[in-house]
Amino acid sequence: MDMAKYHGMFLTEAREHLNNMSRLLLEVEKAPGDREGIDSLFREAHSIKGMAASMGYDTTARLAHHLEDLMDGFRKGGSITPEAIDRMLAGTDLLEGLLADLTAGIPERDVEAFLAAGPVAPAPPAPASSSPAEPAAAPPEAAAPEAEGLLVVEALQVAITLADDAPAPAARALLVLRELLRCGTLQSTSPSETELKRGGPVSGLSAWLETELPRAEVEARLRAMPDVVQVSFGEDRRKETVALRREEGPRTVRVRTEILDRFINLTGELITSRYMLQGAARQGRLRDVKSGLDQLARLVTDLHHQVLQVRMMPLESITGRLPRVARDLARKTGKEVNLCIEGSEVELDRAILEELADPLVHMVRNAIDHGIDTRGTVTVRAWREKDLVLIEVADDGRGMDPAMIRHKLLEKRLISATQLKAMRDRDLLQWVCHPGFSTAAVVTETSGRGVGMDVVKSAVESLGGVLDIESGPGIGTRFLLRLPLSVAIIQVLLVECAGHTVAIPITRVLRTLEVPREEIRSSGRQLVIPLGEDLVPLLSLRKILGLPPGAYDAGVQMVITELRGRRIGLVVDRLSGQREVFVKSLDFPLNQIAGINGAAILGDGSIVFLLDPQPLLELRPGGSRRPRQGDT
Amino acid sequence: MGLKILIVDDALFMRNMLRDIFIRAGHQVIGEAANGIEAVEQYHLLHPDLVTMDIVMPLKSGIEALQEISDADPDACVIMCSALGQDALVIEAVQAGAKDFIVKPFKEERVLDVVRRVAGQA
Repeated sequence: MDMAKYHGMFLTEAREHLNNMSRLLLEVEKAPGDREGIDSLFREAHSIKGMAASMGYDTTARLAHHLEDLMDGFRKGGSITPEAIDRMLAGTDLLEGLLADLTAGIPERDVEAFLAAGPVAPAPPAPASSSPAEPAAAPPEAAAPEAEGLLVVEALQVAITLADDAPAPAARALLVLRELLRCGTLQSTSPSETELKRGGPVSGLSAWLETELPRAEVEARLRAMPDVVQVSFGEDRRKETVALRREEGPRTVRVRTEILDRFINLTGELITSRYMLQGAARQGRLRDVKSGLDQLARLVTDLHHQVLQVRMMPLESITGRLPRVARDLARKTGKEVNLCIEGSEVELDRAILEELADPLVHMVRNAIDHGIDTRGTVTVRAWREKDLVLIEVADDGRGMDPAMIRHKLLEKRLISATQLKAMRDRDLLQWVCHPGFSTAAVVTETSGRGVGMDVVKSAVESLGGVLDIESGPGIGTRFLLRLPLSVAIIQVLLVECAGHTVAIPITRVLRTLEVPREEIRSSGRQLVIPLGEDLVPLLSLRKILGLPPGAYDAGVQMVITELRGRRIGLVVDRLSGQREVFVKSLDFPLNQIAGINGAAILGDGSIVFLLDPQPLLELRPGGSRRPRQGDT
Repeated sequence: MGLKILIVDDALFMRNMLRDIFIRAGHQVIGEAANGIEAVEQYHLLHPDLVTMDIVMPLKSGIEALQEISDADPDACVIMCSALGQDALVIEAVQAGAKDFIVKPFKEERVLDVVRRVAGQA
């Protein structure tokens, strides 16, 4: 049998077991009598041993066997010693090294020294063993999902078409759905309510409705709604079979055949859809072309969603190493640190997780090294908000002192005294991420050398995310990362400027506004608009992009975005709408241009560049890091 | 006799614009609020027939205010005012109980259509 094709699968699974071992060891360290934890550790080592042996990775198998034996000794006594935990941790480190060797395709490193060093920790006197000789069997695979339930219904088929330029079409479709519910009982809708709540392009809604109202009444109610341009009915009282969706099973890193089956099904539907469209186009049946396109749009959205699922992994895959990092650093610094991880089941695109692993470790180290004085809690929390994942790294330590930051900025000559005076405390915090800035009074081995937070910030921003910092003396420090779920396909706002269309990631847009000319005021040399309690400075995108200045209509359209924690208004010629785009990265030399993060092709074949406002604004001629002169 | 309307928006010029539209159509603007907290207070104080509510506002967002109003009064007629690029927020608002939404820049006829329909349902 050719084992090479199992290589990748082995590595993925072995890493999962190894992560579990690290986590379990830290748990058992806190509760040495945790019999179940010791049993689990034994089973994890046993699994790695079995897998490695089947692959012919003898060194890995021997080491895993050694660790398994070590744990077996403690299973009998039901309690584990601190020395054994240290040794197990050293063993898992070595196993990690072996996996790295196997990943790189080089011979497994030598483990003889480790194996020889151990008198395997003293096994406590063994009472008559009541534990099973073999590890408990892994929990059985989840029972096969039941066959899709079939439900026979009698209903009226109704199809509602929305205007092409309907704003927020998914929200409109939700309102249509609600209106239908006022008319009777809904058996099914396409797109489903869940799909609509997810948002995205929607051109209409079709539904099976049980109602006692006459058609004309249903039609009149629906037609009274804005953006509803057509209401049509299919066969009355026709029998229809509706497939009930079955519950989705748990997701794993590996691609389940079930997902592949769905791909096949979707591909089948796409092919059908293509033939239908080709037929309709040949015979000039415009209405069928339109409904075919609607169907196609739905299928593509569905496919997109399924593909994203394949790319999603739980945050746990990178938070798994944090407890170990925290433990080691706490030991080294002699601090008492409690690490809380919440929401590690939240899922993100693989590419994002890979980029995030190191920044996360760095932030946790920072929190322990600089945030916490002698004892405290570091919290890593993740949660989902619509299309974003938010990750927070917070400590309850000493917090950052604005006066200290000011002092440091002057000392390092990063900013002039006048600029400093004008800066508000909350804007100061962003400077922590400036390359070469560090408030740590003592340079330690782990952090505080002025590298780090700038790397964290640029990693987050290159992923299309945003990093916020909150801190104050005595209240601790909180880093908040706002990240998109996926990197490849994102929501953008299209804006026009001197005949060019450019895209701004929606994560960068706080809001859009149209302001009458009279509302614009000037404050010194700066044009501003009042917004809430702030005066928000205006900058012209034309000027930033080096395009000729233009005249504006009575209403000035703008995008409100944030620069170093401060709101600014980016004046554009026209806001032309929100779109979902597939972002392609740029090659040399285009990738050298600051502020251009990629490009996308629109439906009409034109290319738009993806702008990142922040670097563009920071690089504006004149060198000022604070927004200055607007020219609307 | 027109409707009694409460206008909620943090921008004065948006409030003025909506007020002009409603007054021209024979409605009565019985109150104005510039943030979500004022909105909730004024709603309970004035009992308007209908509310237009901006989504992004300081202190308390339109969606939070909508949620509080709908919790207390599930039949409240609240129309959300959104801008381009706020599709996700509009979906959230609809789920929170908004009866409809209008998108800036406002078109007079459209605003009045939506108001008429929502008021007709109540």
